[in-house]
Amino acid sequence: MAVSFGGAGLILANHAVAHMSRTLCAVPRARAIHSTAVCCKHQAARIRVGKGDKPVTYEEAHPPHHIAHRKGWLSQHTSNLDRETGAAERTVEDIFIRRFIFGTFHGLLANELVIKRRGNMLVVCALFTQKIPAYKLYFLIGYTETLLSYFYKCPVKMEVQTVKDKVVYKYL
Amino acid sequence: MLWKVYCALSPTACGVTLFLCWICQITVTDEPDVLYQKVEVLVKGHDRAVLDSYEFFTTMAAKELGINISKVEEPKKKIERLTLLKSVHIHKKHRVQYEMRTHYRNFEFLRLTGSTARVFLEYLQRNLPEGVAMEVTKTEIEKVPEHILEPLWNSIPEKEQSSQ
Repeated sequence: MAVSFGGAGLILANHAVAHMSRTLCAVPRARAIHSTAVCCKHQAARIRVGKGDKPVTYEEAHPPHHIAHRKGWLSQHTSNLDRETGAAERTVEDIFIRRFIFGTFHGLLANELVIKRRGNMLVVCALFTQKIPAYKLYFLIGYTETLLSYFYKCPVKMEVQTVKDKVVYKYL
Repeated sequence: MLWKVYCALSPTACGVTLFLCWICQITVTDEPDVLYQKVEVLVKGHDRAVLDSYEFFTTMAAKELGINISKVEEPKKKIERLTLLKSVHIHKKHRVQYEMRTHYRNFEFLRLTGSTARVFLEYLQRNLPEGVAMEVTKTEIEKVPEHILEPLWNSIPEKEQSSQ
């Protein structure tokens, strides 16, 4: 609820002007102080509407309450199911993998990674732009797979798709 | 005698999966094969559509292999809700709510032999989609042990006569 303290001051000032019309000094304008309650807007994974020049992918355009309705899951494992354990470890692994791949394939990611776990195996599905030649991409993919498999002691596979440019869903 | 053998196999829990070579030699032994009265498979997942497609796959596979499916049930989904504080510090009145939904599907296969059950379950587990967990309950049939076959009261009167 906005409260303005300036109103009363303005009325008084007007009366003062009416009575003291001969005074030389100018009546100062009253300044208003506005105070509001805490602005409790949701701001998680949301891009606010702007001027219309910002390209945005389908994934970025939809806020999290659209998951399971218009969006899928980016990280698929069983530890968040009822009576299953290991959610924290999987989450930490996912965060590390996302940062690692963001850094290794610098400037190439067209969309968020999709991480799937089938049995013991870790499958990382990625969408890259075609900014570097193919042989360099193959090397980086092999390097990521080997390093992550040694790190997590499980087979790691990357399923990669390349795209010419980032796929734009809309402009916000 | 009926024994229940319960083994929970969620893809994240198993460290080393048993590897059965599909082109392996067929072993013939004198031991009789284990018999199962029923094998219950409970599949859980976050997405109902994924479980629908897995149900279609399982029923088709069982029909092709000639395995008896008695029922395919869908137990009610479970929703786990969390209400947490939205802010790092104070602002107790403003909270965020999250929920985790688990959908279930129950398959029941009747009258399987041990080897059929082993092969069929391995096939199902290898084709389990990511993000879906499976729990298997097997109900085994065993032959009644010989010392319980005859009732005890048949042997007692002989002893009383001998004592007197």
